[in-house]
Amino acid sequence: MPRSAGNHQKPGRASPVTSLPVREEMMAKYSNLPLESHNISLTEHSDVPVEKNITLQRPSNVELICQFTTSGDLNLVNVTWKKDDELLESNYMINITGSIMYTLYTVTIINSKQMGSYSCFFEEEKEQRGTFNFKVPELHGKNKPLITYVGDSTVLICKCQDCAPLNWTWYSSNGSVQVPLDVQMNDKYVINGTNANETRLKIMHISEEDQGSYWCHAVFQLGESEERLQLVVLSYLVPLKPFLGIIAEVVLLVAIILLCEMYTQKKKKQPDDGKEFKQMEQLKSDDSNGIENNATRHRKNESVSQ
Amino acid sequence: MDGGALSVLPVGAGVRGAPLLRCLLRGVCGGVRGAGSTRLLDRLHRNRGAAVWETPSSSPGPVGSALSTKFGPRPVVMAGGILAALGMLLASFATSLTHLYLSIGLLSGSGWALTFTPTLACLSRYFSRRRSLATGLALTGVGLSSFAFAPLFQWLLSHYAWRGALLLVSALSLHLVACGALLRPLFLTEDPAVGGPGAQLASLLHHGPFLRYTVALTLINTGFFIPYVHLVAHLQDLNWDPLPAAFLLSVAAISDLVGRVASGWLGDAVPGPVARLLMLWTTLTGVSLALFPVAQAPTALVALTVAYGFTSGALTPVAFSMLPELVGTGRIYCGLGLLQMVESIGGLLGAPLSGYLRDVTGNYTASFVVAGVFLLAGSGVLITLPHFFCFSAPTLKPQDLVTEALDTKVPLPKEGLGED
Repeated sequence: MPRSAGNHQKPGRASPVTSLPVREEMMAKYSNLPLESHNISLTEHSDVPVEKNITLQRPSNVELICQFTTSGDLNLVNVTWKKDDELLESNYMINITGSIMYTLYTVTIINSKQMGSYSCFFEEEKEQRGTFNFKVPELHGKNKPLITYVGDSTVLICKCQDCAPLNWTWYSSNGSVQVPLDVQMNDKYVINGTNANETRLKIMHISEEDQGSYWCHAVFQLGESEERLQLVVLSYLVPLKPFLGIIAEVVLLVAIILLCEMYTQKKKKQPDDGKEFKQMEQLKSDDSNGIENNATRHRKNESVSQ
Repeated sequence: MDGGALSVLPVGAGVRGAPLLRCLLRGVCGGVRGAGSTRLLDRLHRNRGAAVWETPSSSPGPVGSALSTKFGPRPVVMAGGILAALGMLLASFATSLTHLYLSIGLLSGSGWALTFTPTLACLSRYFSRRRSLATGLALTGVGLSSFAFAPLFQWLLSHYAWRGALLLVSALSLHLVACGALLRPLFLTEDPAVGGPGAQLASLLHHGPFLRYTVALTLINTGFFIPYVHLVAHLQDLNWDPLPAAFLLSVAAISDLVGRVASGWLGDAVPGPVARLLMLWTTLTGVSLALFPVAQAPTALVALTVAYGFTSGALTPVAFSMLPELVGTGRIYCGLGLLQMVESIGGLLGAPLSGYLRDVTGNYTASFVVAGVFLLAGSGVLITLPHFFCFSAPTLKPQDLVTEALDTKVPLPKEGLGED
């Protein structure tokens, strides 16, 4: 960052939020940590506060840069930084290059107390705000409840994207109280995960009591994350009833079809001679009406179908 | 004999049943996912597409044909329905992937093969004037059942999980038995002359036009399924989002349905051998496939997809309704069974071949072009069939087939004798 005239640097007083040393010492001590750099741009016309969500799982050195452009006089703009709602007194720089005002805040995040929301404020006539939200990675389970049957076994999977938690644990809950699962029961619960970013809970010999909510917890250095999965246990009778119903319907259909066919065949065989005689009589009387052609065709079909 | 329109419905329902369950397999595989044994099944299914399930289901084809020739379609289709339902029932109790494969692939697959071939073949026996239309309508069952069953199966999965869903699908498959019951026995004049299934198979294997026709359809089948397997992946390569890509597939399915019915109607309305129409549709399908790599703009892709869907749907009813013109309605069961067994080899080779081409070249251009080439080659073979260039309507009459069947070594030109 070039240092030009109009550069302000606040003295390194101990801030109420952290008791970290000043910037240079901090960089030297934690230089082996990865560096994260994030930007927010604001103008005098920004109506909505600008927010940026950052996922962090490992301790890192963080640089937060807010830039502000306005048509007015940049020297009259008041810059403040806050973490959550507490004012930050040190560890930031302000710089004006041309018509853009930059402010840079550096912090080393090494535990969960330093996670949260960091905001930069530019005060002119209106107050413009940019917020950086630091969160641990979120877990993804399944949105829909998992359905399984009594006596079956099932696998509950929890995973997060691009993450490697220190530890995974599983809890079950009926209501609001979370109870850790008894993993010692090896014939009931088996926990393993093929990758670091997922965990699998296999539940065997499922009974109706296993129905309910299961929670997977991921522990990171910078915090914890959890996700809820639901298990629904059905008995075999549940699909059995519609199954038997459909089978009964099919049997009925087949019986009706075959009976109808037998009936029409019987009808055809029995009064055949009588039918033909009656039709011949009808044809003789219809002859004069000129539907002779239809009659001929009808008779031909009769002989063919036999 | 021209059966009433009522006959179309049960046969259509019968044909509907078997392919309908094929599409259910995709839903079953998704359901097995919940049991945690998914990845292998998913990968297997996605790689081979529909072909993998076709081979086990087409192999019993000749058996079904032989049985149908002897006993008529009704007992065979009903037995096939029971087998298919049994396979699904056993699959719902599966504890391992092998169990699942065997139950669905082998048992249900055999059931579907026993159902599919006789129902499609007997259509040609029931209908002579409106044969193509009947075939086209019956084949729409495949598409319609996909539309209807996909959401139904999702609902079943979400309420009963895959075991319960398979159980209920098994009961639904039993309706194939009811459909089979509707297939009343039919006796045609040429039936006694063509002999039993063994004699029929022997005479078919010596029948030049039938063999050439089988070659043509095998070539066509090799290229036919490729877009089904690769279209979505190709669209993703062109940076399409999943939702518009899925929508495009539905568009293809709808134009496929329309094509089947339209081609069925056209096949009956236009005089002359149906082989010419088949060649027309096959050529158009091959051309539209070969043009796929060239189209980059969305409108061009949509137009091509509609064209491909329509033409590929159009060639299916004609491909089936052409068979009785070649071998006669007496040998239709054995003919169709043999044909399906051989052409499924093409389907089995097509998808992996195009997948291999894709891996080698890096995109789908080569595989689409090769698919188009296979289709054009198939349509080329069709030109060699008898009466291709005649302008009158020389459909084989029963008397000629009787003469033909008695002397299996009859040379080619004599087949059309006594018609014009």
